[in-house]
Amino acid sequence: MATFIAIVLSAVLTNNFITAKTYGICPFLGVSKKTSSAAGMGVAVTVVMVLATLVTYPIYTYVMVPLNFEFLEIIFFIFIIASLVQMLEVIIRKISPTLYNAMGVYLPLITTNCAVLGVTELVIGDMSAILGEGVAMNMGWAVLYALFAGLGFTLVMIIMSGMREKLNCYKMPKALSGFPISMVTACFICMAFAVFGYIV
Amino acid sequence: MNLLEITNQTWITVGIVAGIFSGTALLIGALILIVGKVFKVNVDEKITKILDNLAGANCGGCGCSGCSGFASKLADGSGKLADCHVTSPEKKAEIAKLLGIELTEEEPTVAVVKCHGGVENCADKFEYKGNPTCASCASLLGGNKACSYACLGCGDCKAVCPENAIEVTGRLAQIDPDRCISCGACITACPKGIIERIPSSAPVFVACSSKCKGKEVTSVCKVGCIACGICAKQCPHGAITMHDNLPVIDYSKCTGCLTCVAKCPRHIIISRKVTAEETPATEKTA
Repeated sequence: MATFIAIVLSAVLTNNFITAKTYGICPFLGVSKKTSSAAGMGVAVTVVMVLATLVTYPIYTYVMVPLNFEFLEIIFFIFIIASLVQMLEVIIRKISPTLYNAMGVYLPLITTNCAVLGVTELVIGDMSAILGEGVAMNMGWAVLYALFAGLGFTLVMIIMSGMREKLNCYKMPKALSGFPISMVTACFICMAFAVFGYIV
Repeated sequence: MNLLEITNQTWITVGIVAGIFSGTALLIGALILIVGKVFKVNVDEKITKILDNLAGANCGGCGCSGCSGFASKLADGSGKLADCHVTSPEKKAEIAKLLGIELTEEEPTVAVVKCHGGVENCADKFEYKGNPTCASCASLLGGNKACSYACLGCGDCKAVCPENAIEVTGRLAQIDPDRCISCGACITACPKGIIERIPSSAPVFVACSSKCKGKEVTSVCKVGCIACGICAKQCPHGAITMHDNLPVIDYSKCTGCLTCVAKCPRHIIISRKVTAEETPATEKTA
């Protein structure tokens, strides 16, 4: 239970993928103009994160480590995730056109998005600080971490898009209007999330 | 089994890595191919051809999410080709041929602000001191105008107009029909949704958007449509029908006799003929 809480708090708040690790900045700044598209992007990233971890974690532990070619992990993971997203898009398009309309457009955007690659790399690395003493990393924890990392990503995306939508109502000095004020907004969100680091 | 200890010669290691990658690439490639075959979606060939002929601006002016959405709408017959304002007439003729429909000679359109409640005609509900944009003003109790269908006059439409065709005088936006290219930017920008397209040859238009009943309109606006229906009854060509307490003009029947303009007790049906005749004169003097 303690491990579960630690994973949730770490993935969503203290070590949020966007605000603390600065992964996935491109969708964070690029797709956060409207709340609806930000939410769609967040869900797409979450789904891909979970699926990617489901595939890469066993491949790493049961194939790459015994065969002793862990040094190829990054390029191998890019390989796997890219093809996974490709297949996912084709399958969703066939199975559920509704889901495809809501989420499918974001899938090509996140073919090896850094947040997705980041979570697959993190779960095979040293996670003892989060898991706690005496708890070994396994498939379950890895997928759980990926799920909550995705949800944390979605949370920040929605906060950002809400603020940007609100900012559109205001007259801004020319030098700040548009992208600059978005960067300032992003900065404030990151500072707010940084405070979570002190409560744990 | 340890692949790297089989040999300590670098080129063999490189060969092994290359082998692993080409093997995996072949495997994944085959997998994608199989998945693609199994989950193949049959896209209507017509849609692809229509999409090729559309302008591809993805402007959203037709109300669809993009050109591909519009193309599928056209293919199943629920979309109208005239809704697209970007595609050139030649390309449109090609699409019409694909769809097997007659391309109706379509009128160029212009946008008009369907409100005449400036400061002197429509009172303020309260004093608004917030940010001077319509979007911000409208988010506060629907704006500070007494009529909830009134132009707020902060000029959001003016800010987005690419042709500088919009002028805001007395807190009322007005569109210069000669400059308007009917791009629809103002229509999306207006938070009250009171800007509409009309055919550029339209002789008259109704400059009110209030869906309220007569009594409510008279209490807030000096000129707003009171839905008396006199225009609908008096029109000799039957071009006007009442809908949601507002007259709707069928421009295909309208001959420009201006009976409605003369009969309207609120003078809210406005003749565009006068402005059209005046414009060349002002051009000569200028």
